[in-house]
Amino acid sequence: MLKLAIYGKGGIGKSTTTSNLAAAFAVLGKKVIQIGCDPKADSTINLLGGNPVKPVMNYLREYDEEPERIDQIAKEGFGGVLCIETGGPTPGLGCAGRGIITTFSLLEDLELFETYQPDVVLYDVLGDVVCGGFAAPIREGYASGILIVTSGEKMALYAANNINTAVNNFEDRGYASVKGIILNRRDVENEEEKVREFAEKNGLEIVADIPRSQDIIRFEDRGMTVIEGDVNLPVSRKYLELAKRLLEE
Amino acid sequence: MKQVAGLISTYSSDEFGICSALYELGGMVVMHDASGCNSTYTTHDEPRWYEVDSMIYISAISEMEAIMGDDDKLIGDLVETAGELHPGFIAVVGAPIPYMIGTDLGAIAAITEKRTGIPCFGFSANGMQNYTKGISMALEKIVERFCIREIAGTKNLSVNIIGATPLDFSVNGSVDSIKEWIQEQGMEVGACFAMGSTMEEIEKAGQARVNLVVSYGGLAAAKKLKEIFGTPYVVGVPLGKAFAEYLGNAVKKAAETGECVIGYRDADICGEETVTGSLKSLAVIGESVYSASLAAAIRMECGIDARVFCPLDTEPELLREGDLLTPEEDDLMEHLPEAEGVIADPLYRPLCSENIKFYPLPHEAFSGRIYDAVNPDLVNRELRKVEVREC
Repeated sequence: MLKLAIYGKGGIGKSTTTSNLAAAFAVLGKKVIQIGCDPKADSTINLLGGNPVKPVMNYLREYDEEPERIDQIAKEGFGGVLCIETGGPTPGLGCAGRGIITTFSLLEDLELFETYQPDVVLYDVLGDVVCGGFAAPIREGYASGILIVTSGEKMALYAANNINTAVNNFEDRGYASVKGIILNRRDVENEEEKVREFAEKNGLEIVADIPRSQDIIRFEDRGMTVIEGDVNLPVSRKYLELAKRLLEE
Repeated sequence: MKQVAGLISTYSSDEFGICSALYELGGMVVMHDASGCNSTYTTHDEPRWYEVDSMIYISAISEMEAIMGDDDKLIGDLVETAGELHPGFIAVVGAPIPYMIGTDLGAIAAITEKRTGIPCFGFSANGMQNYTKGISMALEKIVERFCIREIAGTKNLSVNIIGATPLDFSVNGSVDSIKEWIQEQGMEVGACFAMGSTMEEIEKAGQARVNLVVSYGGLAAAKKLKEIFGTPYVVGVPLGKAFAEYLGNAVKKAAETGECVIGYRDADICGEETVTGSLKSLAVIGESVYSASLAAAIRMECGIDARVFCPLDTEPELLREGDLLTPEEDDLMEHLPEAEGVIADPLYRPLCSENIKFYPLPHEAFSGRIYDAVNPDLVNRELRKVEVREC
C-alpha cells in the first residue's frame, strides 16, 4: 500500500494536486482513499462533483456519537476514490490538531484499511506542521512518504523549507521522510531555477513539474479534476506521469 | 443525563489499569502527567503500595512543556532515571494533557529504547477510558514484547492465569485460591499475569496448554498468546463450588480440543433451591468476566436466575443474552427493579430501592481500599457458606 502525505503553503494547490493525483491513480486502475486533513474540509470536493462528504468532525458534532460505519463519513467520488474529510471544530474554538488525531483513531477503530484494502492512500494536510496533530499523518503507521507542493514564490519556498526542517527533526522518531518536491507553477520569474536551487540545497528531487493551466480552473468550476475533465490534456498527462512514477518507486 | 454519575462512584481509569497490571514486573512506569496528587495512581487503588516495591513515577509535565511539545525533557529524564534504576523495561503512560496535545508516546518510547537499550513502550492512555482498557493494553504489550517465541509446550496440563490485578481481585487471597483450584483439578499453574509471577515465569507463558482469562483486561493478551503459540483460552473465574468444577472441565476440554471457550456461557440453573427460599432473580453489577462467572455460580449452585449488569468495557461475546451492557447510571436505575436482589460494590447501594435486597461485594476499581477488610474470596467456595458482611 502506497501512503503519501501532501504538504505545502496554504493556497499553493495542495488539494488540487492531491485530487488530481488521486484521480490519476484511479485511472491507472488503483483503489484510492483521499483523506483531507484540513478544518476547511474542501480537499475532496472536486472528486465529488461539488457535492461534499460530511466531515468526521461535523458528524461527531451533529450526532454527539461516533459513526459506526465507514459509509457514514465517506463518499466514493470519481474513479471510485473514497473521500474522507476530517473537518474541524467550530472556527475559533476547540483544537483542530486534536481533531485530526481523533479522526485517525476513529478510522482505525472502523478498520478502514482492512475493510477497503486500498492500493493508495493520500493525506492532504493543512498548510504547515503547526502542532502535533498536523504531524499525525506522517507518524508511524500512516504515510511513509511526503510530497511538498511549492511554486517559485518566496513565501511558498519559505513554507516548504519549514516543512522540510520539521520533518528532518522527526528523523529519529521513525516518521515518514520527504519523497520529493512537486513544482506547481505560478509562472514567477526564474521559477524552475529557484525551486531547483531549494531542492538541491536540501537534497530533494523535483518529482513533478505541473504547468499553470486554465484547464484546471475551468474543470474545478464544474466540480471536477482535470483528469476527469479531459485525461488527454498536457496537464492531465503530468499528473498521470507522477502517479506512474510514484507507483514504480 | 448521559455520562453523569450523580449517585455513584466512578471506576479507576486506564492509567490505573496499566500501573496495576505492570506493578510486579520490574519495570519503570512513568505517568506523563502534571504533578499534583500523584498518590491516586498508587496508594488509593493500589493495596500493594506499602508492601511491595514498584517503580512508578510522574513526569510532572509543565504548562510550557505542553505548549512547546518539549518531549526532549521527558526523554532526557527517562534516560537518566533508567541509568540509575536499571529497570527491566520502561513504560510511558499517557494522561489527559499528552492526549489533548497529541504527544506521540510510541515515538518517545522508540527514541528512549534506542538510547538506553532497555525495552520501552508507550501506552496511549488518556484518563477517560476505564481501567479494563489499561490492563488490556499493558498485558497485551507484555506478551508481545517478552514472551519467548521458541518454546516447547509442557508435558502436563499447565494453565496460565491472565488478567489478575488487585483492581478486580483485591489482595484477599482470591488469586492464590485460583492457583490452588488449578492444582486441585490435577493441573499445573503456569504464569499469572500479573500477580505473584516473576518476569521470567511470564516470559515462558508460551509453554502453557491453556490460558484462563479471569477478566476482560486479560482477553487481548490471551488472544495474542493464541495468535503466537496457538494456545486456547477459557474465559471464567472459578467462583462457587459447582461452577468451579464446571469450569475445570471446560479447561481440560480446551486443552484436548484446542478450542477457545467462554466458560460460563452455557452454565444454567440446574437446581430449584434458592439461598433465601424466596429470591428468584439477581443482578450482578461489575466487571464482565468476574460478574458473569458469579452469575453462573449462583445459577448453578442456588438455582436463582442471575444476570449481569456490566458498566465497563467488554466484548459482547463475554456476556449472555439478557445481560445489560451500559456505563450509564440512568440505565442501571431503570433496569435494577427487574431483579429482586442485587450483588454489587457497596457504593452502588444508592441506586437500589428498599424493595431490592442488596448484597455488598466490594470492587477495588470502584471503591478503592475502603472495604478491603470485608472483601470475600469466593473462589472455589460454596456460596451458601459465604458470610455476607455489611459494608
